[in-house]
Order: sequence, then structure tokens, then C-alpha cells
Amino acid sequence: MSKERKYGIKTTDKETLEHWFRLMTLGRLLDDRAPNYLKQAIGWSYHAPYAGHDGIQLAIGQVFNRETDHLFPYYRDMLTAISAGLTAEEIIYNGISKDVDVAGGGRHMSNHFAKPEWNVHNVSSSTGNHSLHAVGVGRAMKKYKTPGISICSQGESSVSEGYVYEAINGASNEKLPVLFVIQDNGYGISVPKKDQTARRKVADNFSGFKNLKIIHCNGKDVFDSMNALVEARQHIEEHEEPVIVQANCVRIHSHSNSDAHDLYRDDYELNYVKQYDPLAKYRRLLLRYQRFTDEELTAIEDEMKEVVKKAHKAGMAAPDPSPESIHDFVIPEPYVPEKYTDGIHQHDGTPIKLIQALNETLKAEFRHNPDTFIWGQDVAHKEKGGVFNVTKGMQKEFGKERVFNAPIAEDFIVGTANGMSRFNDKVRIVAEGAEFADYFWPAMEAFVETTHEYWRSKGQYSPNVTIRLASGGYIGGGLYHSQTIEGAITTFPGVRVVYPSFADDAAGLLRTCMRSRGLNFYMEPKALYNSPKAATPVPDDFEVPFGKARIRREGEDLSMITYGNTSHMCLEAAHKLYEEDGASVEVIDLRSLIPLDKETILASVKKTGKVLIVHEDKVFSGFGAELAAQITDEAFEYLDGPVKRVGSTFTPVGFNRILEAAILPNTEKILTAARDLLQY
Amino acid sequence: MQKTAIVYSFNTQKTGKIAKRIKEAFGKDADVKLLNIEEVTPEEFLQYDNLICGTATWFDGELPNHWDEFIPELEDMDLKGKRVALFGLGDQKGYPENFLDGMGILGEILEAQGARLVGFTSTEGYSYESSRAERGDQFIGLGIDFETQGSKNKDRVNGWVEKLKLEFK
Repeated sequence: MSKERKYGIKTTDKETLEHWFRLMTLGRLLDDRAPNYLKQAIGWSYHAPYAGHDGIQLAIGQVFNRETDHLFPYYRDMLTAISAGLTAEEIIYNGISKDVDVAGGGRHMSNHFAKPEWNVHNVSSSTGNHSLHAVGVGRAMKKYKTPGISICSQGESSVSEGYVYEAINGASNEKLPVLFVIQDNGYGISVPKKDQTARRKVADNFSGFKNLKIIHCNGKDVFDSMNALVEARQHIEEHEEPVIVQANCVRIHSHSNSDAHDLYRDDYELNYVKQYDPLAKYRRLLLRYQRFTDEELTAIEDEMKEVVKKAHKAGMAAPDPSPESIHDFVIPEPYVPEKYTDGIHQHDGTPIKLIQALNETLKAEFRHNPDTFIWGQDVAHKEKGGVFNVTKGMQKEFGKERVFNAPIAEDFIVGTANGMSRFNDKVRIVAEGAEFADYFWPAMEAFVETTHEYWRSKGQYSPNVTIRLASGGYIGGGLYHSQTIEGAITTFPGVRVVYPSFADDAAGLLRTCMRSRGLNFYMEPKALYNSPKAATPVPDDFEVPFGKARIRREGEDLSMITYGNTSHMCLEAAHKLYEEDGASVEVIDLRSLIPLDKETILASVKKTGKVLIVHEDKVFSGFGAELAAQITDEAFEYLDGPVKRVGSTFTPVGFNRILEAAILPNTEKILTAARDLLQY
Repeated sequence: MQKTAIVYSFNTQKTGKIAKRIKEAFGKDADVKLLNIEEVTPEEFLQYDNLICGTATWFDGELPNHWDEFIPELEDMDLKGKRVALFGLGDQKGYPENFLDGMGILGEILEAQGARLVGFTSTEGYSYESSRAERGDQFIGLGIDFETQGSKNKDRVNGWVEKLKLEFK
């Protein structure tokens, strides 16, 4: 209780007190008004009232500096957004999802306030997910030595999510300038917080973490909240380590308009929480300590009512988004090669292995763009360079600021990549999503989040990240070293998916990925890393554009459409069919699954009339199912037989080599299928 | 006994009950005033040599609004020469991590302003995890728990007031 506190009812200047009163009054008017829009079926179908959190939300917005900081509010942070500077109009535009909504033109759920122009970021509805993003951008701020802090705001129950623990662990371990604000109102929807964790104050769960300060404050008191956040900010700036501020709030209303809190809170409690209304308290203090007269405060309240009226009118008159706009901003424009426009070269030199092509391209791109970063598990050892040595020598040449290890936390790896990419548009990140594709699954929620960013921000934020994964089997790897996961990944709009089969394509696609804006998913068939079959000469400036397949062998009688490990088997089968059956088979190596080179596929189908789709993944619901459907839909008249598929059986991949061979496709299985189809 | 007052919020149920019982325990002849913290002025407060301040603990270890809003006044007062006895309400079972925290916070502030705290009691007989009102094996005032140990209230209040009669000016 030291009197060196910066703010107090007697000591704070009148101008500041008035500014706060205006913001809090305006906020509450909007918060109280929001449900009316839903009642009148205008919009705002999701509103999470913030009444009871007024102190801490005002403080977050006041402490946030839009010149230097990054702010990640959550879906209850209406006053935070207003305090940070959003206007009443901007709040309403977002609430009723207008095209002029600064967060993203009404594409994201209402009440998720953002203003990317000021680094008030769009966040998920996935509660607490943005903690990873806040840590990621904090990492960038530290690497680039810029002033400022990264502020993450969330509710206490959301701390239960594993990725929040990963985020706090990461911030502590890397000593990042992150301020985690936990707004504790005692509930996660209807679940009281004692069902979340044993300690009443969840922040104290982290008291064992190093490099982390924990501060508690009364989120219902404007002065206590302001003083706590000022202290937190100072600590971060002086000690260069993260801080958690836990603010006690009260949730005066329900969780949101879809929650009826009288079902689980009794009258006694509801009256009790009303007595703690932070705005009423602030008003009482202003009068009691004679900083304002009642007339002065009433005049401000009347003024704010007019502001809201005006904003409402503007909101109602604002344009809605157009149905035609739905295809805008799914994925940014890619880097378009100027030299190798089809991704084909005539280079002669010595063939190099796929793994060497990856290593050399990574190094070349790191030299080309000083704002590139790579991390993942095992990436940084100076001798080893990854579990497969793809990054060998990189930390030595580029240093540990750009090439570094990540903990065994896949969600954290991908989530912080998303965050770090927000620092500026020049940054390009390569993340080894996991040791193997099989271990990528914990990162799925961060991945899905990242696929949304460009679209839901209406193009204001593009995550510029390439996720690389060692994929596929044929190495006796069993269930967790054999998975090839493109079947699950290609179902998300907002990501490009590439799958090279040869060293040159590996190099060219990686270069294009690293120079492009947007999210890229780069699958590496690990069985081919050191295989002579996949080795080719590679020009050192090779580029392969997205959405351009490569005809690896021309033919007239049957089209094989393939990618990854099975490209080589298809080529072997095609050779055999020519030698033994006199059949002429065309082999198309897709290289790029999204975007897809439909033109090349359809041209081939029109030529041959017979299609065999071959991939390593399961036939059932694999990517080939999508290809088959598109071909049947668009080239039916040219088909001279059913579109057939060869792939794995619908089972996991067994560890014993006998099982593996029975499960995965091979040249024999492809030959049999091709012969059947040729004879149809 | 010099000028004595019990200060608490007249809008409270349980705290108010205890305040009145304390007054009764001093006896009919003692002139013990009851003051409403929600309305008392600093001048009134400073008139008394002996003060008994009563508070509950709200939420996870906070002072109720009615005390919290008076703190800026307290922080400008010189309480040297005054004796302050505290009583606090808490729920050992429901909120064991913050038992009697309100009393602890209030005591810290009053002491910082020069008051001498009296009426410490033993922590024996209570079962909780942590308390801001705890100093060694004592509480800095009287702890009352309606929820868990309501039957002990009468004896606790009476025993405490006997102590105060000796410790007050």
C-alpha cells in the first residue's frame, strides 16, 4: 500500500479522471445497448457483456501504446478496445458486421474487436488461443530490439487450455516482453472457476516459473488496475521478462447473450455482484472526493448518450459486405517466378539429393532475405541440424537469433509463428511443425487459426509462414513415423499445400514458399531425402510456381496423376508398361495440391481418356477422392473408363515390414491397376 | 475508557450483528458509539482514541467497497496515539486461501498511518490455508466465522471485549 502509486482519487489530475469517466460511460452505454440489436434482429448475435470488468479494461487500453505495442484483446474486451481508441462507430460496425468494420468487414464473429492498423489484433473465438500469438510477436520485438510490449488479455477459465501454459512457459523461457492480463470473474460460462483449477487465483499456478512476475489487482477499481498495469509495464521494460497481472472482476451479466445466468446464479449472488459495479464506484469516488460535481458528471453522461445516438445512426446507414466478396482474401498473391515460369529447367550439372537441395535452398534464401527465421525441435544443433539434418550448418552461418530450437510443443511452434509474423510484412518464417508429420496434430488448432487470418481480417494481416513436415512412410516407421497428412490439410481454405517428389522441385517450391506471402504447408517425403531416385541437377536459383504440375513422362494411353513417394513408382510402372505391354503412359507429378493445376490434368485426360490417381495416403477420403470427383465432373465426356485410385488400405500403417508392404502402395499394385484400366 | 467507537457498514448483516454484540459486551455504562463507515467523515473518525473497525472479506481477498472507498481518506490521516482493534468476518471452508484478508489489509493501512493495533487473538481453533491477518501464531484482530463456527461467536466476542477493556486507553 505505498503512496508512490502513480494514480489515486486525490492525486490524479482532473483531465485524466474526466477522460476515464468518458470512456467508461461510453463503454457501458454501448455494452448495455448491444443486446437490443439482437432483439431487433439487426445483428450482434454474439455479445459478451463486460460490465464488472471496467477497471482493468480501461487500464489495458490506457497502458497500450499504439506506436510501439501489440494488443490481443478477447471477445469480452469492449471497453479495452474503446479505451485503446476505437470509436463508438467502430464498435457498432463490428457488432452489426458491416463492411466498414475495421477488424475485418464483418467476416469474423461480432464482439471480437480489432484494429490491425494499430496492432490491436484479430483474435480467435477459441478462448485464450491468442496467448501464443502474443508470445510470438513478443519474440519478434525482442529479436528486433524494438521498444514496447505485447499485451494478451483473457478470462481466467481460458487459462485451462494447454496452449496457454505453453505460451507462458515460452515467454518465461525466452524472457519475452509479454504482459498477460487475466480477467478473473469467477466463471467460464456456467462453470465456476473452482472446476478449472485448485487455486482460487490461477495466476499463482505459475509462481514456480522463472523469469516471471505475478501481480494481483482489483479489476473493479480503476486506480488499482491502472497502478498494477503501470507497474507491470515498468517491470517488463526494466527486467525484460514477462508479467502476469490477474485482475479480480465480477461478471454482472451472463457470459453472452446465449447464456441465461439466472439458471446458475441465485438472487443473493446477483444483487451482491451489482453492488460491486466498478462504474458506480468510480462515480461515487469522484463525487465523494469532490473532484467533480454531480452536474458535471451528468453533463458528460448526456454527452456520451448523444455520441452513441450518432454512432447508431452511422452504423445503421453503413454498407453491408457483398456476397460476391466471399472469394476475396482467401490467400494472398504468391511470389511469381520470372525466370522459370513453368518450374522447368534444362540445367545439366551433378545431381544432388533432395535433402541437400532443401539445405542449400534454405541457406540461399536466408542469405537473400535477412528477415527469415527457422525453428523447430532439434533444428539448431550445429552439428546435427534437425532429426534428418535438413538444417545442418544453418545456425553456424546465420546465428541463433535466426535459427533456434523449439520445445516439444507443436501448438506453440505454429502459434508463435503466426504471432511472430505479425511483427511486419517482411518477416518470413519456416517452422518445422513437428519432428514428423505424425506429430503435427497438437498444432492443428494453431494451424486452423492461421488459415483464417487473411480472410477474416479482410486482407489486413497475412501470416507469412511455411510449415515443413517430414512425411510419409516406406522406412519401416509404423504408426507414428509413416503418416502422410495432406488429406486432412487440403480441406482448409487459406493454405497452400505442396508435395515435391524430386530434388529440383523441392528446391524450387521451397524458394517460392519462402518468398511468398501467406501460409504454406510443405510436405517432404522423407523416404526420398537420400534416395538416388529423387536426386536431380538443381539450378541454384530454381523456382517452381504454385499450381503448376510437371509432366514427368508423356504418353497417350493412360494418365497417372501422382505426387510424393508414388511419383517414382508411377514412373517405374510406366516404364514397365511400355517395355512389356507397349502401352504409353503419361505421368503427371502434381507438385502443388493447393493451388491445383487443373489445366494440365484436364488436358491429359482429354488426350488419354483413362485416369489412374496414385498417392501414398489411404484411398478412402484421400486427396485423390477430390481429384477423381473434379475429373468426373469436368471431363466426363472424355473419359473412356472409370477414374481409378491406388493408395494405402484403410488401416493404420503397421510397423512390421510385412504389414507395411501389404498396406502401402507399390509399383506392383500400380501396375495391376493400370493394366486393368488399360483393358477396360 | 476514553472515546471509543465501532466503525462498520450499517448496510451489512453479519458484520453489523457482531458490531452490536461488541457494544453490548462493553456494558450499558460504557459510551461506545456506532459509526457508519459509509457516511463517517475524517473529522468524526479522528475524534476517537479507541476505534474498533469491522470488515468482511469480499471475493478473493478484498476489502468491501465501503471500506475501500474510505482508504484514500485514511491514507491522509495521522493516527498516532490511537488504539485500533479489528474484527473480521471470514469463511474458513469456502475461502481458505483468503481467510480474514479484509481485516489484514485494513490493519496494514491503519498501522501505516501510526495507529497501534490491539486485540490480537490466537490462530488456534481456526483451520485455513492462508491469511493476510496472520502474524506468527496470532491474528491481528478477532476472527468471526458465521458459516463454519457460528456457535463460537458469543464466547469469542465476549472474551475479546474483556481483553480490549484492558488494552484500550
